[in-house]
Amino acid sequence: MATSPATILRNPRQWLGQLPLAFAVAVVAYAIIDGGYIVTVVGFALIYAVFVAGLNIFMGYAGQTSFGQNAFAAIGGYASAVLTATYGWPPLAGIVAGMAGAVVCALLIGMPTLRLKGHYLAMGTLAIGLIVYEIAVEWQSVTNGYMGISGIPPLGIGSWELESDRAQLIFLAIVTALSLWATWRLRQSRFGRALVALSGSEDAARALGINVGRTKLIAFVISAMFASLAGSLLVHIVGFISPEMIGMNMVILAFTMLYVGGIGTTTGPLIGAVVIGLLPEVFRGLKDYQDLVYGTALILILIYAPGGIASLGRLAPKRRAAR
Amino acid sequence: MKAGSFFALALAASTAFAGSARAEEPFKIGVSVGLTGYAAAVDRSWRDGLDVAVDYVNAHGGVLGRKLELVVEDNKSEPQEAVTVYRKMISSDHVGIFISGCVSAGNFAAAPFVVRAKIPMMLCSILPPQPEQAAWAYSFLAPPRFEVEKRYEYLKNHTKIRTVGVLYDPSPYANFQKTLAVNAAPEFGIAVPVVEQYKQDDADFSTQISKMESADAKAVIKIGLGGSTLTTAKNIKQLGLNTLLLGSVDDLAVLKPAGDTLGSQFLFVATPSQVYDALPQGALKSEIGRFLPLWKAKQGERDPGWAGKAWDAVMVTVEAIQAAKSFDGEKIRAAVETLPPHQGTGGVYNFSPTVHQGITVNPFLLGTFEGGKVVVKD
Amino acid sequence: MTTAPILEVRGLSARYGEVVALRDAELTMREGEFVAVLGPNGAGKSTLMRSIIGLANATGTVRFRGAALKRDPAAVAAAGIALVPEGRGIFGPMSVAENLQLGAYMIGGRGPDYERRLARVLHLFPRLKERLDQVAGSMSGGEQQMLAVGRALMADPKLILLDEPSLGLAPKVTAEILESLALLNREGLSVLLVEQKAPLALKLAGRAYVVSNGRISAEIDPKEITSHGDLARYYFA
Ligand SMILES: Nc1ncnc2c1ncn2[C@@H]1O[C@H](COP(=O)(O)OP(=O)(O)O)[C@@H](O)[C@H]1O
Ligand SMILES: [Mg+2]
Repeated sequence: MATSPATILRNPRQWLGQLPLAFAVAVVAYAIIDGGYIVTVVGFALIYAVFVAGLNIFMGYAGQTSFGQNAFAAIGGYASAVLTATYGWPPLAGIVAGMAGAVVCALLIGMPTLRLKGHYLAMGTLAIGLIVYEIAVEWQSVTNGYMGISGIPPLGIGSWELESDRAQLIFLAIVTALSLWATWRLRQSRFGRALVALSGSEDAARALGINVGRTKLIAFVISAMFASLAGSLLVHIVGFISPEMIGMNMVILAFTMLYVGGIGTTTGPLIGAVVIGLLPEVFRGLKDYQDLVYGTALILILIYAPGGIASLGRLAPKRRAAR
Repeated sequence: MKAGSFFALALAASTAFAGSARAEEPFKIGVSVGLTGYAAAVDRSWRDGLDVAVDYVNAHGGVLGRKLELVVEDNKSEPQEAVTVYRKMISSDHVGIFISGCVSAGNFAAAPFVVRAKIPMMLCSILPPQPEQAAWAYSFLAPPRFEVEKRYEYLKNHTKIRTVGVLYDPSPYANFQKTLAVNAAPEFGIAVPVVEQYKQDDADFSTQISKMESADAKAVIKIGLGGSTLTTAKNIKQLGLNTLLLGSVDDLAVLKPAGDTLGSQFLFVATPSQVYDALPQGALKSEIGRFLPLWKAKQGERDPGWAGKAWDAVMVTVEAIQAAKSFDGEKIRAAVETLPPHQGTGGVYNFSPTVHQGITVNPFLLGTFEGGKVVVKD
Repeated sequence: MTTAPILEVRGLSARYGEVVALRDAELTMREGEFVAVLGPNGAGKSTLMRSIIGLANATGTVRFRGAALKRDPAAVAAAGIALVPEGRGIFGPMSVAENLQLGAYMIGGRGPDYERRLARVLHLFPRLKERLDQVAGSMSGGEQQMLAVGRALMADPKLILLDEPSLGLAPKVTAEILESLALLNREGLSVLLVEQKAPLALKLAGRAYVVSNGRISAEIDPKEITSHGDLARYYFA
């Protein structure tokens, strides 16, 4: 699980374990310095890191499955888009309103669906993602359907806007760092332990006095808040939203990032998002072979790092345990 | 070992970003197209049309002494991906102009950055809705209402039919066209008592067609692509009706079986290049005549419609550069807006500071099949 | 038997769907008692434990120190009953420390109360102390069982239920764990121990119930059991 800073200092061998994280941070720093189009690539990766960090709470910690997280990104994204572009709200207010909307929806959706287990929960959440996508397409008067909403202002506070790409990237880096820190704190808390406990055995967790249903519901709501935040960030960075931006491909990408980065680890969402965000760019020159090589790279990563790249660092303590 | 493979990856990543070569000789044209995803069929045609056009221009000495070079990036028909590839083509490839495909949402999403970089966008899609973004964008698409109006015009001028039924599929474009069809009808003195939807994979539309028949609709305005046109034709024939079937713009290969079934009862909206042989001599025919042999040499019998528009976009760009005597984005943009009307393969493009959708005169024709050959009716 | 009853089970029945796994169970324990529940595999022992703490779909009443228990595991845990479940139920991916913290879930934060309990558990099972940061799933079976017991003790229960703690353990390790239970019992903790290995349990328990076919079929005094034959009489009566 997560390694506290103090443990790292006590055990220098664990420095090795933090190399993937160091790589991800280095990529972000490089993008801030370079300023080219890698800013866009890394910016999207950071937004996805926030989205995946939320998914990680529900899937990695609580051991549940949701294929419908894009629904909450849609709620955040469209709330931000409509409130800022159409009604002239400041971005921050739009983000907060989106998150509030996501909380309400997650509660309404979560109460019936979280009774489902395993495949049924996965199918139930999948349906929610598809339904919200359809609403985004059909509710033309608000969402403008496939044409989408443009003219969404960049992020900013008051009259001060984050105009430059670099400023936006730095802002995203801070938001991502705070998000990961929040998930780490959450994981270390009583609530976080309850999540991991119920993912291991719901009965064993119940016997300890954990209210399994309520704990799962809260995890779902928190992950929805992260998804909503990511959706809002996405539309402010792009300045545009249309249904395709919050479709199933978002879920597929997020799952890939979560498993490649390391499900259940704190830094996995960031590492996965950066690696998966960069891979297509690394292979872009290959043109028609890009998808093939990308797929091969994914498979290799999952073979050689089955617990995700973030867990490569856990090799050191594991070996010690085996001795 | 595991860590090793990971760092090989990291290294590859860092070297890939290190060298983004500056543009030297050729003038680079950025192309954001959905080579995969829903737009693939149209956008692949668009790209292949650009290929033919750029080869042609380069074979004739290029523009102002420079060759043209295409930088093609797949946006996977997704807006977010489009933003990435646009940004890449701006900051890594330093393209001087964009001639991009039909993924509207992708073009909209990228428009703010493209405008900030002061790069004109020639588009296969519709224009971005924001005025400050549309200012840098030029659409080579014919206004959607032309497709419907051509059919109404024909009915009004050549037949006594004043009552029609509209049959459409649930795709967004068909939905949009349906609304246009209903709204435009009164202008032509036409009534639309029946508007019916079908699902693309339904095998029988007899119910919808019978409803139209009982409402005295003597023609079916069919909106939607693919095999459903043949299904409609078959149903009309089976029901023994003398109703006309007027199809939308589509691939000739798709339209021909419907013509074989219904004969002269079947008419369709045709792009000029689809009916090249039947065109009268003139500027349109000679422009298509420049493009079509080159297209056929490379692509055989593949439908030239979208590719022809891509060709047009390249030719307008070339003319604008020559008129501007410059490769500067702002100057090219100014030149596009002051060029004389340009006869393209898909119609006449007449851009101005206020008109950024260049086709203002309906370029479509109404075709039918006679003895298996395309004939122009109007 | 002069002390008050700590646990009174009356007419407790439980079913899994259509299958009735426990019928009209009656069981009484006094404060400070060490009671064993014996019976063959599939008899309904685990179902009895799960029904007591409110995990199973059960009917009937369970009274704890005179008050009726709600059929809600959290309420039961709060009242002072802890279960060491069959198969240990430790949380493999978490550290030993975190597993112990989860045992004290009901008291929330880490106050002095918590530190006192932790010290007691680590004193009882010194092996856990060396492994606090280790991932629980990487420990040996015996250590995991110690952790399971230790985690239950972190709730500071008045009554501990243990469901076959000897399962899959070497006899020496089992003896060590049961030894510590006897110690706790001497300190006043009431213990309800489920075991298939009757001789083990009977060495420690003051009294035993036999469960077979979903019913409590007998109550026996360990002192009267001297041979395998004696026991078999109860099992297969
Ligand atoms: N989750 C379950 N679903 C269905 N039947 C069960 C379940 N758990 C136990 N049973 C059945 O209930 C009966 C009692 O099981 P259990 O209480 O586990 O027995 P024991 O602990 O004495 O071995 C057995 O017949 C068993 O097959
Ligand atoms: Mg059992």
